[in-house]
Amino acid sequence: MNHSEESKALVDQAYEGLKFVDDPEVGLNVVDLGLIYELDVNEAEKKIVCLMTFTTEFCPMGESILANVTESLKMTVPGYTPEVTVTFDPPWSQHMISDAGRAFLGGY
Amino acid sequence: MFGSPLGGNVARTTSYKVVIPFYAYAAVSFLVACVLLLGSGDLFQGHWFQPRLLAITHLMALGWATMIILGASHQLVPVLIENDLYSNRLAHLSFALAAAGIPLLVYGFAVFNLGWPAQLGGTLVLAGLLAFIANIAISISTSKRENVHAVFVFTSTIWLLLTVSLGLALLFNFTTSVLTRDSLHYLALHAHLGMVGWFLLLVLGVGSRLIPMFLISKYTNPRLLWAVFALVNSALVLYGLFFLYARNAALDLLPALLVLVALLLFAYYCRKAYVERIRKKVDDQMKVSLLAVALLLVPTLVLLALIAVLLATRGDQARVVLLYGFTIFFGWLTAMILGMTFKTLPFIVWNKVYRHRAALGKMPSPKDIFSHPVYKAMAVAYLAGFALFACGILLSNMYLLNTGAAALLAAAVLYNWNVAKLLAHKPLKQ
Repeated sequence: MNHSEESKALVDQAYEGLKFVDDPEVGLNVVDLGLIYELDVNEAEKKIVCLMTFTTEFCPMGESILANVTESLKMTVPGYTPEVTVTFDPPWSQHMISDAGRAFLGGY
Repeated sequence: MFGSPLGGNVARTTSYKVVIPFYAYAAVSFLVACVLLLGSGDLFQGHWFQPRLLAITHLMALGWATMIILGASHQLVPVLIENDLYSNRLAHLSFALAAAGIPLLVYGFAVFNLGWPAQLGGTLVLAGLLAFIANIAISISTSKRENVHAVFVFTSTIWLLLTVSLGLALLFNFTTSVLTRDSLHYLALHAHLGMVGWFLLLVLGVGSRLIPMFLISKYTNPRLLWAVFALVNSALVLYGLFFLYARNAALDLLPALLVLVALLLFAYYCRKAYVERIRKKVDDQMKVSLLAVALLLVPTLVLLALIAVLLATRGDQARVVLLYGFTIFFGWLTAMILGMTFKTLPFIVWNKVYRHRAALGKMPSPKDIFSHPVYKAMAVAYLAGFALFACGILLSNMYLLNTGAAALLAAAVLYNWNVAKLLAHKPLKQ
């Protein structure tokens, strides 16, 4: 991966876009919920690569969350093809929720 | 870390076409049961073995509670066992058979014709449940992971099979001698296998997974859940043995106490999950569901009171028996369903309507596609109706019984209105 300044800016842009994609049950965005494990740009292949998870392996909302993440990446990083992979290793846990997410849920 | 290509490891959610008919059928059954209840206040001042009460009981047990549990199970069991549902066709078959059988059975009880309509209805219900159990059993057996919740669910389906098989035998026993004693003798066994083995065990198994999940709670305690599982099943086995070989009200105290301990442990589990939750704002649907956990204790305490009455008087225990049944079917089971319907159905409908509409920021959230004011009014009507009717049974007061039944009917109408609103939801124009 080429981690140029431009790549970093694209990744930041993608993260900002993903903050508008909510888990419909929790009402919290996928970034602060901790569902996005990795996000990177492959400039050579013009791909935006995302490794993500769901709160549970057979999440009934998984398909729609995945579609929305893919759509968000397409919109926020135009010209790059989203490549989203779902993993459950490690499985999601409550510890992955960001401080902002906990504040949103009333954790503090 | 390792993963899979886009979509390759994403659960295939059970089709809404499988699940929604069960919810719709259950909603209508609840409404019909409340209509029947409205004109039945006087029956709650007499003996419990009356045609209309049998009809209402079976409509509540099968048409309302079992149908919605079957529907929700097709959606939730894959989440619990982390595996796909084995067959949508079996799920459709189980719906068709049960949906055809229940009205025949209820009609047979209502007119007290326990000949062909009730017998055919009961046979169809049993066939439908066999299709369901086979579907769940195969889904669980092909799952890669075992967990305590799945064991609860599977065991509850075994008790369900025993309950319905015994119920069918009792039905045929009214017209042809298939059991050693008359059907009335076995009714208590039939009822407890169903209420404790099927409903209670299943609700404990599913609730122990869903309540922490919806609260986003850090608390887990499989050892405690295994203890609850052992206590409830031991109680059922002991009750069955005492019933068949040593009929004595004093002996029934032991299984009742085992269930009470199990419920107290479950209530402790839910309380810990609630205290250790990350999601501090608890919605109305979860509040009603948590109330249902508290209501679990009411029938058990009534049962202990019933045993005490039996031991002390051998006299008029009919009112306590009626109260016991009412607090189960119109109490904790109904409260649990009223709460959980609006934690599950909006997501099923939302997935149906918006799954392929990845248009960011332009979709309502699942909680926005049903009416919250109507939900609140329903909850108030339900709580008032339940409390008034229960007091009416205890005090043999027709005014309380009629007012309570009217409030419960209002709750059923509001529930049906909100379910219909959900099912008729169309995508918002963008």
